[in-house]
This record gives sequence, C-alpha cells and structure tokens, in this order.
Amino acid sequence: MTTVAAGAATGPAIEARRITKRFPDVVANESVDFAVERGEVHALLGENGAGKSTLAAVLSGLYEPDDGDILIGGEHVHLRNPREGLAHGVGMVHQHFRLVERFSVAENVALGDLGQPIRLPRHEVEQQVTEVSERYGLPVDPRACIADLSVGQRQRVEIVKLLHRGATILLLDEPTAVLTPQEVEALFATVRGMAAGGASIVFISHKLAEVMEVSDRVTVLRDGRVTGEVRCADTDQRELARMMVGRPVELLASRATGADRSDPGDVALLAEEVVLERGGIRVLDGIDLCVRPGEIVGVAGVAGNGQRELAEVLAGIEEPTSGSVTVNGKTLGGHGPSHARRLGLAFVPEDRLGTGLVPDMDMVDNQMLTRERRFFLDRRSARREVEEAIAEFEIKTPGPGSDTRVLSGGNAQKALLARELGRQPGRRVVIVASPTRGLDIGATELVRFLLHRVREDGGAVVLISEDLDEVRSLADRMMVLYQGRIRLEGDPDQLPIEDIGLAMAGVGP
Amino acid sequence: MNLGFQLHRRMERSLRTDILVPVVSVLAALVAGAVFLAVEGYDPVAVYRALVEASFTTWFGITDSLAAASPLILTGLAAALTFRMKLFNIGAEGQLYLGAIGASWAGLALAAELPRPLAAVVMLLVGAAAGALWILPAAVFRAWLGTSEIITTLMLTFVGLFLMRYLIFGGASFWRDPLATNFPQGRRILPEIRFDTFGTTRVHWGLVIGVVAVVVVWVLIRFTRVGFDMKVVGSSPAAARYAGIPVRRTIMTSLLLSGALAGIAGAAEVGGRAFALDPNGLQLGLGFTGIVVAALGRYNAWGVLIVALMLGGLRNAGTALQSVSGERVPEEVSQMLQGAILLFATGGEVFLRHKLVRRRKGAALEPAPAATPAEVAA
Amino acid sequence: MNDTALVLTIAAAVGAAIPIALAALGELLAERSGVLNLGIEGMMLVGAVTAFLVGDGTGNLWLALVIGMAAAACLALVHAFLSVTLRANQIVSGLALVIFGTGLATFIGKPIEGRPLATDLHRVRIGALADIPVLGPVLFRQDPIVYATVALAAAIAFYLNKTRPGLSLRAVGESPATADSTGLDVARTRYVHVLAGGALAGAGGAYLILAQVPSWSQAGTTSGLGWIALALVVFGSWNPWRVLFGALLFGLARRANFFLQDAGVSVPAEILSMLPYALTIIVLVVWGSRDLRRRVGAPASLGLAFARDER
Repeated sequence: MTTVAAGAATGPAIEARRITKRFPDVVANESVDFAVERGEVHALLGENGAGKSTLAAVLSGLYEPDDGDILIGGEHVHLRNPREGLAHGVGMVHQHFRLVERFSVAENVALGDLGQPIRLPRHEVEQQVTEVSERYGLPVDPRACIADLSVGQRQRVEIVKLLHRGATILLLDEPTAVLTPQEVEALFATVRGMAAGGASIVFISHKLAEVMEVSDRVTVLRDGRVTGEVRCADTDQRELARMMVGRPVELLASRATGADRSDPGDVALLAEEVVLERGGIRVLDGIDLCVRPGEIVGVAGVAGNGQRELAEVLAGIEEPTSGSVTVNGKTLGGHGPSHARRLGLAFVPEDRLGTGLVPDMDMVDNQMLTRERRFFLDRRSARREVEEAIAEFEIKTPGPGSDTRVLSGGNAQKALLARELGRQPGRRVVIVASPTRGLDIGATELVRFLLHRVREDGGAVVLISEDLDEVRSLADRMMVLYQGRIRLEGDPDQLPIEDIGLAMAGVGP
Repeated sequence: MNLGFQLHRRMERSLRTDILVPVVSVLAALVAGAVFLAVEGYDPVAVYRALVEASFTTWFGITDSLAAASPLILTGLAAALTFRMKLFNIGAEGQLYLGAIGASWAGLALAAELPRPLAAVVMLLVGAAAGALWILPAAVFRAWLGTSEIITTLMLTFVGLFLMRYLIFGGASFWRDPLATNFPQGRRILPEIRFDTFGTTRVHWGLVIGVVAVVVVWVLIRFTRVGFDMKVVGSSPAAARYAGIPVRRTIMTSLLLSGALAGIAGAAEVGGRAFALDPNGLQLGLGFTGIVVAALGRYNAWGVLIVALMLGGLRNAGTALQSVSGERVPEEVSQMLQGAILLFATGGEVFLRHKLVRRRKGAALEPAPAATPAEVAA
Repeated sequence: MNDTALVLTIAAAVGAAIPIALAALGELLAERSGVLNLGIEGMMLVGAVTAFLVGDGTGNLWLALVIGMAAAACLALVHAFLSVTLRANQIVSGLALVIFGTGLATFIGKPIEGRPLATDLHRVRIGALADIPVLGPVLFRQDPIVYATVALAAAIAFYLNKTRPGLSLRAVGESPATADSTGLDVARTRYVHVLAGGALAGAGGAYLILAQVPSWSQAGTTSGLGWIALALVVFGSWNPWRVLFGALLFGLARRANFFLQDAGVSVPAEILSMLPYALTIIVLVVWGSRDLRRRVGAPASLGLAFARDER
C-alpha cells in the first residue's frame, strides 16, 4: 500500500514540533510532534477528544498554537488563519462542511479565493472546477446548487475547493463518518490517487480498520499527547487500539448471553407497516419492527436514511402517515410523546444538549421536561431526583441549579439517562440514538452498562446508531435501514460484514 | 476585526452583575447625554437637576410619573413576555392603538347600558381582545408558516396607526367627535365611565392594573407550566417537540397574551387619561418604549415594573422640563436620554452573559462561545 | 400634449421613491451581510437634520449631503459595534437607534423647526429626451440624485452578483462560519456594510430635506419613511432591482391621491398609506410559504451574531 513520493525527498511536507494548544478548561495538544512526507497518507488516530481535530486545526492555521513550531517544506511558518495555511498549500476538510448552501459549486470554490479577479469570471471558474474534478476523479457539477447535493457530493466539493486553491497537503477530518461503505471505497481511491500524485494526506479517524486500509503511516494521539507513530505495514489493529486507549482492549465487547430473555411470545414494542411521508417522499417506507422484553435491537445505517424519523415515530413525537406503533400492548395513536411516556416508553435522543436537555435551563428544570405536566410546577421533587442522580452517576456539575450547557458531553448524557431511565420501574421500552457518540471510554462503558441493565430487568431497547461496531457489539438482533426501508435483518454475529455494508448502501436483496 | 479583547461566556450569573450592569449602563448613558447637552450649550447638571426635581421630588411630580409609568408597565410586560422566548413582538405600539380603538368603541357604544364598574371592565376586555386580534395574523403566520414576526408585527403597527387616523379623520367615523370643527378629534367617552383617579392626582386605575399584571405574569412565568413551556420553546424548539410541548400553541399563547397586554395598555389610556382616540397616536411611542422597558428590566416582570417607574419619570420630566424656568430645555432631551440608556443597556446586557477577557499574545483565535442568537426566521 | 395629472403624479412618485430607495438599498447591504438594522428611521432623521444645518450654514448642498451621510453612518457604527462586536440583540439595538436618533434629531433641530432651506437641488433636463411626452417629465427632468440612485441600484446588483467582494458579502450573510473558514473577515465585512447602509439612510434623509420637503420638522420630515424602507427590503426580497421597483410603487402610493382626486376617485389618504405595510406582510407570507424560500428568502444568518465556536 505504500506509494512512491513524486517530489524530491527533502524532508517532510509538513511538520509540527512540540505543538501545545490549551483551551480554558483543557489542554488539547501537549508537545505534539507530527510529520507528513510528500506522497504519504498519514493517519491521525485517536478517540474522541484525543486532540486530533485540534492538531489539524493548528496545522491548517485555524488555531494558533500556544507553543511549538510548524514547518512546511522545511521552513518555519506562522499561520494566523486558514487563508495563510492555504497559501502554504495546507487545506482542511472539516467534519461539518464549510459550504454555502445557496451557492453553486463554482461559487463555493471561488469564495475567499483572492487569486480571482474582482469581477468574477463565472464560466472560467466553472471550467476550472471541471478540470480539477476530472483530473482527480471527483465528479461534481460546477453549476449545481449545494443544497441539492448529497453528503458524499458535498465532500467532493470541499476537496475540489482545496485542490483548486493549490493545496498539496490535505487534512481530512473524519471524512468517512457520513459515507456509505461504497462511498468510502471511492474516497479511498481518490486519496490514494492524490498521494500518488505527490500530495500529502492527513487522514483523521478513530476507526482502526479504515486507518489500516488507507494509510502508510499512523500517529496515535491520546489525551492530547502522541502515544505512538508506526508504519501500517509494521503493526496491526490490536496494537493501534492499545496505543489509542492505553490498555489492551477487547475489540468486540462481548455481549451478555441472551439466556434470561423472557417468553418469546411477549412483545414490548411493535411497529407495523409504518410509513412516514414528508413533502411527498416516503422517509419511512413500511417499517415492521418487533422488540421483545429483555432484548436489544440495533438499527444500523448511514445517516439520513430515516433513523431520526424512525426514532421519532417510535417515541410518539411524529405521527406516522400510516401504520401503527404499539407500546406494551397499547397503541400510540398520535397522542404525542407524553402519551407514549405514560405507556412506559423512554427516548434518549442523539442530540443531548439541545433536544434531550435544554442548554439554557438548569438541571432541575430539565428534570421536569419529561415529567407529568401539571399546571403548577413541582420543583421540589425534581430537585430531589437531580440530587440523587448526581450522587448515583457521579455527574460532575457545579450543582442542580446550574445550566446544563456547562456539562461535558459525558455528564450531559448521564443526566439525560438518569432522567429517562430512572423513572418508575416496570416494563420499559427504551429508544436510544447514538448513545455513545462523542463520549470517552468511561462514559461509554456506563452507557452500555445501563442499557444492559435495562435489558436484564426485562426492558426492551431499540438502539439506533450510525456506528456499526456499536450496533454489532451491543445488539441481540440487528437490522439495516436504507432509504426508509429495512434492508437486512438478523443476528449480528451471523451476518457477514460485506452484506451489512452492501445493505447500508442499498445494494443487494 | 481584532480589537484586542474577547468575550467569554460566564458559567454562572451573579446578582451583583445583574444589578451592577444596568446601573452602570444608565450612568454611562447620562454621561453621554451630558456631552450632547454641553455641546448644544446647556448646563447638563442644571438639566439633570431639573429633571429629577420635576419627576421625583414633588408630590405632583411623583404622581405624574406614576401615571406616565402605568402604560409602560403593560407594554413592557408585553415585550418581555415574548422576547424572553425569542419571539420578537415589536408591534406593541399597534396593538395598543387597537386596544384604544376597541376600548373607546366599547365606551361610546355600551356606556349607557352598563353599570359603571362593569363598563370599565368591558372596556378593558374589549381592548385586550382588540390588541390580541391585531397580533393574531402575525402569530398565525409565525406559528404555521414560520414567517418572521418581527416584520409582520412592525408592519401591522403602521396599518394600525393609519387605521386609527382614518377613524379620527374619516368623515363619518363612529369614533370622530362631530363637534370638533376646526381640527378633527376623537369622540370622548362619557365622564361617568372614566376610570377613577386617586385624590387630586392623575394616577388612575391603570397603575393598579399594571401592578396586578406584573404579579400575574411573574407567577405565570415562574411557577406554571405555561411559563415553563414558553421557556423551553424559546430556548430549544427541538427539546419542546421532544418533550411533547405543543410548540405552535405555546407560540400563539405568548404572542396573543402579549397583544392583549398591549391592548389593555391602550384601553387603560382611553379609560384613565385620554378618554378618546388621539390623532397623533395616543402618546406616541408607548409601545416602542415598552421594548426599552423590557430590555432594561432584563425581561423580568419585576424588573419591568422598576424600569417603567423610572422611565415614566423621565417621560414625565420631558414635558415638565419646558416649564422649568431658566434653562428652557426641549422635551426631546428625555427621548434622547431614553434612547441612549437603551443603547448602553443593550451593550451592557452582553456583559451579563459574558466576561471581557484580554486577548493573550499568540492566542488570537481562541474559541469564543457562541452568542445566544437572536432568532430571525424570515 | 400637456402633462396630465397622471404624468405629474408619476413624476412626483419618482421623486418620492428616491429617499425610500436610498435607505432601502442601504438596509439591503446591511442585511445581506447578516445584520438587521431597524434603526433606519433614526438614521434618516439624523441625516436630514445634519444636512439641513450644513446646507443652511454653508449653502453647499453637496457638502450637506456628505455630512448628512457621515452623521447617519456614525449612528450605524453604534449599531455595528453593539451587534457585531458585542453580539447584542440586533432588534433591541436597532429600536434603540430609532429612539435615540429621533430624540437627537429633534433636540438639535429644535432651533430650526419649521424653517425652510433657502436653496434646492436643481433638476437636470437630459437634452431633447426631456421633451418626450410622458417619459420626459417622468424620467428625464429629475434632479441628479434620482439618476444617481438608479445607478446605485445597478451598481449594487452588479456588486452582489458579479464580483468577488459581492460573493464574499453574500457568503457572510448566508453562512458566516463558512466565510470565516475561507479566511474572510466576517466582522469587517459586517461593519463595512452596516456603515454603508447607514450612510445611504443618511443620504435618503438628506435628500428629503434638500429636495422634497420644504422645511425641517421631526414629525413631518421622514413621517415613517424609514419603516417603509425596512418593509421595502423584504418586499423586494433582498434584490436591488426589485427594491428599486418597490420604491417606485410605494412612491406612487404616497403620491396617488393627487391623481385620484383629479380623477374623481376618493380613497382616504390613510388607506393608501397603509398599502405599503399591508403589501409587505402579504409578500413576506407568500415568499415564506413557497419553495421559493431557498432562492429568494432572507439571508440565512440575518439577525444572528457570529462567533467562532468550534473546538
């Protein structure tokens, strides 16, 4: 998988020496050394919060480091903003694309390009875009409006934008997170092609398999420090994982055995022929789902294939156009989420701070968000519950009266889970969406523990996640959602990974 | 634009900054006003002294200030109620006109048939309904189509203004005083149904209504589900949907309540002070000043009450200033000062939520927390 | 052929449209950068009163225009500082500007209340074109600022759609985070356009006092034109040509009673005055409720403060 450097071998294309970057509450990078050769695909591996994106932001000029040096082509540079980074040939594709939705592809490419004349030559820019996209095998229509493009197409626009600006060092921040396995393959081919052409690619990821597949070399970050730098040829996933988390890990967390499952005739959550139409499009197209007590059912798929809508329909937030959802034998019947909660349903949304919790309200008021709604508020019992939750889950907070926006991701998730899972026992149906996204190992393990506990207590769990590994390791049964339909269903241990990947891309039976 | 400092979000608010910041804002505005006065050749100290004396030292000064404050309490509440949930009803002015139109209609048409206290209540109710009616289109468009209520409420204000002028100047209008020959005027309601005043002062029942409204709004916001729902919808519509809070109904409730409060302000002005439709708009700017009151009062009901009393004094002083011998200060000074206070308070509000941090060398691009955006959904 | 009442009405409507058009084009620039400035009325009044004082003192109307623009731009600077640098609520800040500007203008205009300005802007006859029936009086017998305003609308349209800085401006209004990531200075862009907007509002106010109304009075000089200008930006859906067209339409509504009286139709002046506001509501609702929103709607970040927040 090694590629031949095209340029003269005069040292690294870009090099970071002893970079330190502090934020008010955390040191994101501490004395980090990092170097990328010409024509090399160099992965930056680490967990969420390990400091990968910060390092990339420093390299691209978005952040100025508190300490340390950056060398490009062997020369010291001082990058004050991304434009200066780009002037030195460094460009970054962010996880959240930086594109103006109402602009065309060509307009987005021309935006901020001081090399363009004051009077923009629209046709020339369009031609240039076409040339770049053909040269690197990144098909895009220069006249298309961004709002009409798919996620994968938008990513291509981002890359074309940088290449057009003359970037030779590309930083790709978690570029595969939103792509189907097939789109990932296409991206990897492009990445290899660009490297073979002499470009340097920094591939930021936390996915071991992808890193092993696409890169020549890997630098691993943990808690803002470099914990290792190896050639892919000389290592394996297990070793990388150890460097990433600091201790040997089981790659696939073992599932508790399903021995304590209850009577298979029993049904906790039942969705029948659920169809949801939005603007004439079927975002959910005939979903049948049956979850029994003591079972975790995982729903995998690429983002935007109906996951959010499915979660909202099951939680009673959205009323299906046709079909029905039954919780513990009683139909939701379009009476809204409060009714669903009365039937024993709990929903932990993916967007914790903003949907699950209101950032501008304190923990006590947030506790009342999904409680029974009387005209006069009962803050006293809510405060008691919050205090109990803080003690039980060791939530780090200034106090029950502080706004939830000050909570870290892990603590926000704990507060949310405490509220949603901590209510009256009994036969619960829990819907969770991407419950461990962005969490550190400790919080992730707590989430998994809590889900297992629900299951052991006879509750039913629907786990909706874009993280395929999470679904495969937690679920007793899994299915793949593609364009609002269930494409594949089965035991995660039995289903071949290739079939799952194809189903996620809408290929296959 | 690098100004050498940055704003960092405060993690927790303190009572000290909550009080200090508005006070400093007002002082800064007075200093700025003094500069303008000095430039124009007035003695700022003498003007400010006259201002305080006119409004806050004599019995009649104080009571007149209270009378001037009463509509501001209501329009201030009208603004506070929606602004705190990031809805921006800036059309209280128009809703107030409609309240006045409705109340004077009720006063003129029904007075003869109703006993006295009931007539006052009917006038207030009709005024409230008219105010709510005037915001209804804006509320419906906002709740169902997402149309910006900022522009629609503002536009409706001017439609309301011209409607009122039409009712006064239009030849055959029911509201027009048939006896006013040289200059058109609104027809006055009968003295029997005008609101009682307290003693010889100009303070009327409108002040009591204002204070009652403060308590009601405070309880509603702080202790009931209605206020809780408003807070959730305002802070995070996604969370409201998730929790099963009816977003549209909450938007409608708060906007209609706001319109009704402004309508009551207009009704009370007709019942207690003007007794008729006024061709220049009752006392121009009561609705817009309500936004000043709400902003200065931190969108809090009690804050609104305190600020309304203060600005009532300032407005009252404006008229009183002209009769102060010696300085002959134009009454617009008070409006200029109001504007300056609002500008400084708007700037000052930022420091309630943020700390000013000097930018360290080499750290020019530290991440600043996102400001709470003012929602504009056009 | 004599100039009929209709022709005269239309010619007058063109004049009446100019101050609204100037202020609205200015507001369009500010809003395209993502800053809503409700303070137009205040800025126009300050522009008008300053222009009067300078024109009255020096007799130089062009100087009066420039100083009027500068004074209004100073007010706009306050708004820019509050809303861009301090990230304060733009609505409250804009309204504060109206209240402050109105008070200030009345205060410093007190000594000249009701006094007429000695000179007037001269009308320019464009050669033989001025003698064309109907079109002559409407199009070719106006004063220089009328022509300048039309040129300005054309210039702004070109700037927005055909130039690199115009593209940057639109990006800042649509998605400041994107603009920022490509190295554009969001704050500077917003400052520049808010100031330009203020200057144009000032020009509108100055034009009123120099060419339209006979004398200074707070209530009579602008009589709510600033609010109409605000409505016009929405009515013209942030497009300079549509804004100019809307200004003519609104100008016509303001002058239509001349013609209507002449034609024997009596529509109360108040009802005509309502029209621009009512129309704006309708346009806003129609634009908003269609799929058109994506292409012609308000700049996506209008009214939102921007701060880098990634980490």
